[in-house]
Amino acid sequence: MLQAARTPGLNLYTYSQVEEVTGFVGNFTVKIRKRARYVTNDCNGCGACFEVCPAFGYNEFNEGMDSRRAIYVSFAQAVPSLAQIDMERCIKCELCKGACEVDAIDFDQQDEIVEINVGSIVVATGWDEFEPPIGYLGYNKYPNIITQLKLERMLAPNGPTIGHLVRPSDGKEPKIILFIQCVGSRDLNMNTYCSSGVCCMISIKNSKLIKQHYPEADITVAYMDMRAAGKDYEEYFTLSRKEGIKYIRTNISRIKEDPITHNLKIVMQNTLGSSGLKELEYELVVLSASMVPATDVKKIGKMLKLENSQDGFFKEFHARLNPIDTKIPGIVLAGVSQGPKSIVETIAQGRAAASSLARLMSKDKYRILLIRASVDKDRCAKCGLCELNCPYDAINLTDDGAEVNEIYCRGCGSCLANCPSEAITLRYYREPQYEKQIDAILEEV
Amino acid sequence: MAGTIRAQYPATLRPVRINCSGRVTPSLMMRAIGKGADGIVIGA
Repeated sequence: MLQAARTPGLNLYTYSQVEEVTGFVGNFTVKIRKRARYVTNDCNGCGACFEVCPAFGYNEFNEGMDSRRAIYVSFAQAVPSLAQIDMERCIKCELCKGACEVDAIDFDQQDEIVEINVGSIVVATGWDEFEPPIGYLGYNKYPNIITQLKLERMLAPNGPTIGHLVRPSDGKEPKIILFIQCVGSRDLNMNTYCSSGVCCMISIKNSKLIKQHYPEADITVAYMDMRAAGKDYEEYFTLSRKEGIKYIRTNISRIKEDPITHNLKIVMQNTLGSSGLKELEYELVVLSASMVPATDVKKIGKMLKLENSQDGFFKEFHARLNPIDTKIPGIVLAGVSQGPKSIVETIAQGRAAASSLARLMSKDKYRILLIRASVDKDRCAKCGLCELNCPYDAINLTDDGAEVNEIYCRGCGSCLANCPSEAITLRYYREPQYEKQIDAILEEV
Repeated sequence: MAGTIRAQYPATLRPVRINCSGRVTPSLMMRAIGKGADGIVIGA
C-alpha cells in the first residue's frame, strides 16, 4: 500500500466512496465522494492531537476491544498517514486545533465530489466476517465466546492486548481453548458455501501461534471437515497435530456457561470415535465464522450493473473458464469480491485481473463483433419489453423508440425474441437469412 | 446440452445455427415444413 501511494501516476482515494459510474469500456466516468476528514493534507500523522482529544469511543479496528479518540488515524499502518475526525463523536472543543503544530485541522471541510475518467475498473471490494446471530453458539450471550477476527486482533503485536491472549470476562490467560469451525458456513440455514478453507487454515495458524506463546495451552479444534487444500497446507495441518493440537470431528450439541467461572461447558460427540456424547469444559471459545461479501457491496453492484451469484458475491464471466472478467467489458473482479478465497488465490486473481485489463487497455481500439441487435424504430411500439429482458442493460427506451448500445450488446437475441412488434433484428441473423438457409438445405428434398 | 450429453442425431438431419432457441419463430418452422422437411428438432 505504501508503495502504491509512492508510485507516480497512481492516485489513491482513501476515506472515499464511489457514488456513480456511467459510460462503457474505455470511457467510464466515475464520481467519487471524498469524505471530509476535517484534517488537511498538511497533517504528518504525528498524533499530538489524539492525546488532547477528550472524546473517547469504540475502536472499530480492534473489534471494540479498546478505545480511540474522536480524532484518530484509522490504524497504525494506514496509508496515507492522515488523522481524521469522527464527527459523530467530536464535541467540537477544538483542543486538537491548539495541539496541531502544522495547523492541519479544518472544521469547515466539506465532502468533495471528484469526477474521474477511466478506461477500465477492477472490483476488489473484499469481505467481512459473518456476524453470527445473537445467541447462536452462545455468541454475544457469553463473554468468552469470540470470533476469529477478535482473536486475530488480540494476537497481533499492535493489538489492544499487545499480543497477549486474554479472556474477555476476567482478563485471565485462557489455558483450555476450543475453536469451532464452519460457523455460518456450509449451513443450509445461513451460508451454504464453504469459505474456501480459509477459516480452517486460520484456525490452524492461530492455534499454532497460541501454542508457540503458551506451550502448556490445551487447544482443540471442533470441525466438520478440515479443508487444507493448497500448496504446503496439508503439511501445515499435520505439523499442528504433531505439536499437540487436538482435532475433533463433531457437531456442537450444546453450549452452556458456568455462571461463576464463565467457563463454557460444551456437549459434543466425536463422530469418528465411539465415545458418545461428552461434556467438556473450555475457558475460551473461538468461532471460525464464514466470509461474506463486504457490506454496501450491493450498491457497487447496482452501479456497475454486475450480477450476483447465489452466495451474494459478484458473478464472474464463467465460474470455471473465466473467473476474472465480468459480463461487462472493461470491468474485472479480484479477490473475495468474486468468491471466498485465500491470500494466495487473491494475489493470483489480482494479477490476472491486471493482465486482463492490460490486454484491453494497451490497444488504441476496442473491437466489437458486428452481431448486435438493431431496432427498426418505425415498427417499435415502445413497450419496453426489450429493456426489461436485456441481461446486459444494452437497450434503453427513448422517445422515438428503443435504442441499442452496441458496446454493451452481446448479440444474444433475447430482445428480438421478446419483441411483440418484431422491430428488433440481429445483424447476420435476420429472418431472410434464415429463410435462405432453410431453403438451401431443403432444395435436395 | 445435446452436445454435453453426447446425443446422437441421424445423418439426415440438417443443422441451422441460431443464437438462441428463443429466436426460433413459428414462421421459420412453417417454412421448413412447407419446403418438405419431415420434422424439426430444437436442440437447446
